[in-house]
Amino acid sequence: MRVRKTALVAALSSLALLTGCGAADMTKQASPFANAQGAKTVTLSVQSWVGAQANVAVAQYLLEHELGYRVDTVQVDEVPAWDALSQGRVDAILEDWGHPEQEKRYVDDKKTIARGGELGVTGHIGWFVPTYLAKKYPDITNWKNLNKYSHLFRTPESGNKGQLMDGSPSYVTNDKALVKNLKLDYQVVFAGSEAAQITQIKQFAKEKKPFLTYWYAPQWLFEKVPMTEVKLPPYKEGCDAVPEKVACAYPHTPLEKYLNSGFAKNGGKAAAFLKKFQWTTEDQNEVSLMIAEQKMSPEDAAKKWVDSHKSTWKKWLS
Amino acid sequence: MATITANPPRIGLPALLKNRAVHKLLLLAAAAAILVPLADARWASGTWPSALTLDFSEPLAKASDWIIDNRDSHPLFLYFFGHVSNVVVIAVRAVYLTLLAIGWAGVTALGALVAWRVAGVRLALGTAVAFLACGLLGMWVPTMQTLALMVVAVLASVVVGALLGLASGLSDRMDRVLRPVLDTMQVLPAFAYLLPVVLVFGIGVPAAVLATVVYAAPPMARLTALGLRGADKEVLEAVESLGSTARQRLLTARIPLARKELLLGVNQTIMMALSMAVIAAVIGAGGLGDRVYQALASVDVGAALAAGIPIVLLAVVLDRVTGAAGERLGAEPEPRSGLGWLLALAGVVAVAVAGRLAGRLDWPEAWIVNIAEPVNRAVDWMTAHLYSGVPVIGGTADWAGHFTTWVLDPVRDGLQGLPWWSLLLIVAALAWVIGTWRTALTAVLAMAAIGVLGVWKPSLDTLSQVLAAVAVTLVVGFAVGIAAARSDRLERMLRPVLDVFQTMPQFVYLIPVVALFGVGRAPAVAAAIVYALPAVVRITTQGLRQVDPAALEAAGSLGATSWQQLKQVQLPLARPALLLAVNQGLVLVLAVVVIGGLVGGGALGYDVVFGLAQGDLATGLVAGVAIVCLGLMLDRVTQPTERRAKKGA
Amino acid sequence: MDTTPVFSVEGLWKVFGPKAERVPADPELTALDPAELRARTGCTAAVRDVSFDVRKGEVFVVMGLSGSGKSTLVRCLTRLIEPTAGTIAIDGEDVRAMDRSRLRELRRHRAAMVFQHFGLLPHRTVLDNVAYGLEIQGMGKAERRERAAAVVAKVGLEGMEQRRPGQLSGGQRQRVGLARALAVDPEVLLFDEPFSALDPMIRRDMQEEVVRLHQEEGRTMVFITHDLQEALKLGDRIALMRDGRVVQLGTPEEIVGSPADDYVREFVRDVPREQVMTVRTAMRRPVGHQDGSGPAVRPEATVSEAIEAVARAGAPARVMDKGRCVGVIDSDTLLGVVAGTEQPAPPGTGQPKEAV
Repeated sequence: MRVRKTALVAALSSLALLTGCGAADMTKQASPFANAQGAKTVTLSVQSWVGAQANVAVAQYLLEHELGYRVDTVQVDEVPAWDALSQGRVDAILEDWGHPEQEKRYVDDKKTIARGGELGVTGHIGWFVPTYLAKKYPDITNWKNLNKYSHLFRTPESGNKGQLMDGSPSYVTNDKALVKNLKLDYQVVFAGSEAAQITQIKQFAKEKKPFLTYWYAPQWLFEKVPMTEVKLPPYKEGCDAVPEKVACAYPHTPLEKYLNSGFAKNGGKAAAFLKKFQWTTEDQNEVSLMIAEQKMSPEDAAKKWVDSHKSTWKKWLS
Repeated sequence: MATITANPPRIGLPALLKNRAVHKLLLLAAAAAILVPLADARWASGTWPSALTLDFSEPLAKASDWIIDNRDSHPLFLYFFGHVSNVVVIAVRAVYLTLLAIGWAGVTALGALVAWRVAGVRLALGTAVAFLACGLLGMWVPTMQTLALMVVAVLASVVVGALLGLASGLSDRMDRVLRPVLDTMQVLPAFAYLLPVVLVFGIGVPAAVLATVVYAAPPMARLTALGLRGADKEVLEAVESLGSTARQRLLTARIPLARKELLLGVNQTIMMALSMAVIAAVIGAGGLGDRVYQALASVDVGAALAAGIPIVLLAVVLDRVTGAAGERLGAEPEPRSGLGWLLALAGVVAVAVAGRLAGRLDWPEAWIVNIAEPVNRAVDWMTAHLYSGVPVIGGTADWAGHFTTWVLDPVRDGLQGLPWWSLLLIVAALAWVIGTWRTALTAVLAMAAIGVLGVWKPSLDTLSQVLAAVAVTLVVGFAVGIAAARSDRLERMLRPVLDVFQTMPQFVYLIPVVALFGVGRAPAVAAAIVYALPAVVRITTQGLRQVDPAALEAAGSLGATSWQQLKQVQLPLARPALLLAVNQGLVLVLAVVVIGGLVGGGALGYDVVFGLAQGDLATGLVAGVAIVCLGLMLDRVTQPTERRAKKGA
Repeated sequence: MDTTPVFSVEGLWKVFGPKAERVPADPELTALDPAELRARTGCTAAVRDVSFDVRKGEVFVVMGLSGSGKSTLVRCLTRLIEPTAGTIAIDGEDVRAMDRSRLRELRRHRAAMVFQHFGLLPHRTVLDNVAYGLEIQGMGKAERRERAAAVVAKVGLEGMEQRRPGQLSGGQRQRVGLARALAVDPEVLLFDEPFSALDPMIRRDMQEEVVRLHQEEGRTMVFITHDLQEALKLGDRIALMRDGRVVQLGTPEEIVGSPADDYVREFVRDVPREQVMTVRTAMRRPVGHQDGSGPAVRPEATVSEAIEAVARAGAPARVMDKGRCVGVIDSDTLLGVVAGTEQPAPPGTGQPKEAV
């Protein structure tokens, strides 16, 4: 009857709190759904893209089946996720694309978040055209020629300019500045969500229509719709320092893991496991594709991967 | 009064209206003649003059930083918000753990037996089926999470709403203060509530619950006040004449007399809380909404639907059960109702204990039916065949393209091309002719606030989408509504469809919408139409059906054809309802502007999504406030004489 | 007989509107007619300078058309509406000077009211509605239910104790309203047009019910109505109101027999006079030789009863009071009453009643 007892304790303590004694630090309050039924719970943040879902699916599977944890997942956008991580409402973020400002605030100053090491995957953002288009117009993959082909990319949304499709507002993007600074005859159209962007890309690809899109790797969609990157002026350290003046490509970012500091210290096996969790782009894509293309449930996909990659994950548990 | 030969009033009324309208317009024109040249000379520009804008981004960003830095140290947070948040967490947790402890069989039995006691056998069966369906779809735990959050949020909303309603129902001064606030809150889109609570509480369940309470309490407050104020005066007088104290009057007469409204308030609160609990997934509410949201990320309509169906089922069951409970009030009390409850309770305990002994508290995995795959196949097939290349009529993509080029673009460019002061004038004229000078003033101030916030252009972009969506919604909605009002069978067939579309989380149909219409403003408009259409159809049908049957009979006896009856009797008499439909259509369309931002609608909706996603409260809040202002403006411009207490949930 | 009136109302005013209290105080304003008053001050005087006494055990009827101020007047008696000026006394105690708790006492025990639209609580059973007044007083559940059950039986609603008001007919509902007022055993019953929402047949039943109750219990009643027939049937005395003023106060006979002005005359024109006028009013003084012959009638008998007696005997009738002949009445006088040609002497000046 542990549950009853917990409920009773909860009721009593809420009563005590209502009478207004003592301070309550909301940054130390866990999710109400955590640790239900006496199981130890880990709460993972899932970002909206499938790669992140793949990380979480595999971590969740192993935590549940190998370590006996109960795992809750919460989908939050990246920046708010940092805040949630700092508050301990989320225990870990498994894939972060670089948020220097948040890193400084939470990791260095407040020390509420601890670094969890690299994920093992390197991320890269860029502009892409479908490979069938690149084959047809080989010089289209250089930004200098984009204006020449802008008429191909016209849509009702972009009017008489070419359409450069951007995705979720949570993603890092310099595209508006790039279009302006490189003097491109293009209009940035925000799909507003990755789901919308992927759906649109797939529709274009189905009809072999031309399109130019902001996209990132690793991403499972490349397997389904082969795309070729358009070369932008090369990235140099610091060329993206002033957002309005950016005129260079996006960098290659080693993706990082972050843990709530309390969890990193007291999270026991789970924290140790998450710190060691590291895999390759291919691994991630394999799982992503199962989830997104084959529409397997994340759990089934994770199981399939885990069953066939024992050597990889055994290292994480040791 | 309502005779058929409506000729004299029909000539008289427009003439009168015209006179009054002309009068008002002349006055307005005179004012404009003085003010416009002044304004134009000072700030000559087509768009809102930059001299008149205020930049809020700096202070807002600072405030946001301050809150994040001080959340764990400042007394305000430690001793107030911290406790609030803590109580919410503990309460939700307690309910959640209780639900899990009862087990799936126990919860199903509890739901069914409560429904049986308050609403009868049929709804009890429906409730049981709904709960079992949640389990079958593999959504048991998320359903319980949503339910736990809902229970806490609804209880809090009902208490807060009832207290506010009591204050406003008993004190005229409170009523004068509260009424405009509550009225305004009715028209605000749900997303507008998310940012401020996130600012204070951060992502998570406390923020979600509080946003839900803020969203769901106003209808309770309004209806409580309405019930208290609408009580039969003579009954109150009789009670007073017997020498009751004020307290006795309140407890034995006023509150019991308002019980119908109170129950309707609870019903409304539950419906709104449910819709908000889903939307609040964006700020970490967890539960079913989160599952829908996650499925969206992997472009998996099937999975989104699997999480969406339990929401619809919960909504329909809760609506019907509370509705039926309301209808049962005042009927013959069942002689042994205490015994019935006891029986019900015993049944729940028995089932829960049995479930516990059998070790079957969690929904058995073997019983989960996977609907995602067939649904996805169906959606794929549909989009593949409709997207383009349909002979003669073209594909949906072509329609979307034409709609963008021929409707959305001209409207947007037209609005953005108008000088700023002329837009203010148009708003003033419309609001004044339809309403009073007060509504006109509010509308103009709301519009001006948009300019001051510095989001004039994107707001007009959003406005153009809203207008286009409302136009389509009204045309389709009136047509369907009229048809449904004339055919009982059609209405019966429509009812479940409308229920589903009204309660289905909007996230679910985002992907099909994009798959059919591509990315951009057209799909945003489509999503808005899907969302607003049910309410418009409902109000139209109800309005037409409530037309005095005697008037119709009289018209029929004079040999009017059914078309003549519709045109000359039903539509004119249902005018208030139709105006209300316009108003509700606008409010609802505006409510999904943010959703439109997720499919490429851009403008304000995108800014709000951006603000939420990037934690950029300056952008998000300003855009949110602008949406609120647009809402206020549109509501005031179309404010019908009588406002419905209900809000399409 | 106790001479202290149950209610004694003196110079009562009720004015609605801004700064209402100045109206009764200003003789210039009190002289205005309603339309002028509204135009001048924006105020409406619902009750204007009304004075009357309600005697113990009588049925006092206030009659007038809608808008005449009668409902406001009755509400002023227990200060459900706060009077603007004047005095009200119940058993000699100043009602307007009462504090809250004293006023509650008054409402709880001394005066109970029956309302036009019944004012029942729809969520309670008949029994609990009747017991409501006792509940308010703080009486225990068992006791108040027992007493309520007795009253329910008294008004003829046995077997309906557990019904809700919504399941009753209009007449039954008003019986519940009546029972609720009776249950607190008040000194005075106030009726505010209690039967005007009922069908004519039911209305007659209810009127007879009231007559019966009055005969059985002798309780003082103040009865508001717009129905002249009802007023004449029930009232011991009638105050006829118009535009907030009492234009005539008297017995039904006096009102019908000698209207104070044209308004009252017009009002009572269609009343079958023979059923209202009594022999006492219509008779002539006895002349010696008629002493021993003819049928005898009581002075309280109505004219129509006398007509029957005279017609049967074919001779004038003697009016006998306590074995003494106080007058005679013949077919000419009776015809005069029916036709309305014979005007009895104006009130107060040598009326036969006073003469006795």
